Amino acid sequence: MTTESGAAPAGTGVIHDLGYRHYDGPRLGRAAIIRALTWHSLRSAFGIGRGAKAKVVPILMFGLMCLPAVVNAIVVARTPGHARVVDYDTYVYRLRPLVMLIFVAAQAPELVSRDLRSHVLPLYLSRPMRRLDYPLAKFAAFTAACLLVIEIPLILLYLGTIVSAGGASAVWDQTRALFPGMLIGVAWAVLLAAIGLVLASLSGRRAYATGVIAIYLFLTWTLSSILVAIAEQGPVPVGAGPPLGARLGGLLSPFTVLDGVRQWLGGTSPGPIPPPGSVGALYGVMFLVLLAASLGGLAVRYRKVGAA
Amino acid sequence: MLGTVTAPQQLRTGPGPGDAGTAAAVIRTDALTKRYPGEVTALAGLTVAIQPGITGLVGANGAGKSTLIKILLGLLPPTSGRAVVLGHDTAASGERIRALTGYMPEHDCLPPDVTGTEFVTHLGRMSGLPATAAKERAADALRHVGMYEERYRQVGTYSTGMKQRVKLAQALVGDPRLLLLDEPTIGLDPAGRRAMLELISRIGAEFGISIVVSSHLLGEIEQICDHLVVIDGGRLLRSDTMTSFTQVSQVLVVEVDEGTAALQAELAARGLAPRRSGRGLLVRIDGEQAYDTVRDAVADLGLPLNRLEQQRRRVEELFRDHSGEEERGDD
Repeated sequence: MTTESGAAPAGTGVIHDLGYRHYDGPRLGRAAIIRALTWHSLRSAFGIGRGAKAKVVPILMFGLMCLPAVVNAIVVARTPGHARVVDYDTYVYRLRPLVMLIFVAAQAPELVSRDLRSHVLPLYLSRPMRRLDYPLAKFAAFTAACLLVIEIPLILLYLGTIVSAGGASAVWDQTRALFPGMLIGVAWAVLLAAIGLVLASLSGRRAYATGVIAIYLFLTWTLSSILVAIAEQGPVPVGAGPPLGARLGGLLSPFTVLDGVRQWLGGTSPGPIPPPGSVGALYGVMFLVLLAASLGGLAVRYRKVGAA
Repeated sequence: MLGTVTAPQQLRTGPGPGDAGTAAAVIRTDALTKRYPGEVTALAGLTVAIQPGITGLVGANGAGKSTLIKILLGLLPPTSGRAVVLGHDTAASGERIRALTGYMPEHDCLPPDVTGTEFVTHLGRMSGLPATAAKERAADALRHVGMYEERYRQVGTYSTGMKQRVKLAQALVGDPRLLLLDEPTIGLDPAGRRAMLELISRIGAEFGISIVVSSHLLGEIEQICDHLVVIDGGRLLRSDTMTSFTQVSQVLVVEVDEGTAALQAELAARGLAPRRSGRGLLVRIDGEQAYDTVRDAVADLGLPLNRLEQQRRRVEELFRDHSGEEERGDD
């Protein structure tokens, strides 16, 4: 045998001392593996387990999102009527899309583009899981990450309000108002996570993926705002409500679609688009179409990636 | 280093040379065919049985090696035919197979911004190990591949050889019964290649793990294999034990200080077919009597014999020419 040529680097000499030990402990099934990958991905969505630099954007965005809740707590405590100044269902509708746009554009590529870039997918696929378990875990993880960014500020808003609110009935009122807000928050998290991941999975280059997500979300948002604004400029018959153009304009952007769904489901706080009225169901349909298209795209993408 | 790697053949429990039985086969394929869209045929009716031990999967680039490995992992469905790995059908029990098999891909597959330990631990968890076990086995696997000292460094700072070792460690972390190594020596310098081959040899010998190692370089992996499977154009060219590959290829190198031409004529007259190679003669050994013939010829001619040794022909040359047009007498 010519293998014993002394060419092995120094440091390998210790190998023989311990010998190989077989593993006879428990082996977890597919569900546990998916859970482990989900947890791993959720941590990476906030830069945990990565360097300090990876934590900057998620922490900053989370802090920014919490700011209105903190301000509300202070205001509620100091004003005599203890009235809440931020709505549960819209939160701050000028801030939330901005924060989520940056969070999704920056962090969705962290979950999927890195793995594409380093071609690590064949290693996942050669594990005892199925082809679509990977995108499933990533979607679950990123939905959870978006939920944390959206819902924790809502809970802070709630806590900040009830601390000052007097009486059980006031607390009950706040609780009842909180739940629809949190429900819409779930819709936000699910849709934005799906859109973010499918767009990020198009490219292994982080900067490119971030750009695609940011441009898509920003352009459609701007376009919807412009359409709504133009339609509202037109002559409106007195008492006819917002013109049809203004009510349909919001269908373009995921953010305004989410707001349309909110108003269709009964949300009354003023939002970025006028109440859709009779076309409200269209917003519900659009929400489902966007979600299905994103998840379907993600499935198609990962059905192919890693296969020869 | 201890001399434990020098005799892997004796240490292994697999069937001995010449054992063609397929009862204990680790992998068995039956008329396995894979056609990609666009009429590209990667595998064309491949039927082969792979025994425990270290098996070299040899073929030129594009011969179908990677396709075969992906089918064996249950990641690609074959167009027709079937494959059974560790007793499980690839089409029906891919997950089960992947739980028992470690895979080292040919291409780079490491993220640069994590440490070796983090990476292998994570993939250990992906193999179904609980968190603590994954950590322990990752440390073990990295030690076995000789990356214990460097395990807390970022993968991006590793050399090509170190990266290959980490790729091997992630395949080992789940304590597989079978390792599928796709071109593990690719991109390595000669020293790195030797170290990697030695490592694979040791894993096969001491860890009791069956290994299929693919390569497009025959000469490279022949040193460590018990069996060789040669495929070309998606077809089986030959499958046999390493011993039978080398048996037919045994050549005697005879070197005399003078009278080489006379010896060549004498050997030819005695029924051997000697060929000039450098300063010596090459004689194909057809049986035990060949040694006697050479000895007698040298003695009868009274020539000063300088060198008489068995040359182990590289399997590579065996496939290159079956006619015996051999000119190189080195090695």
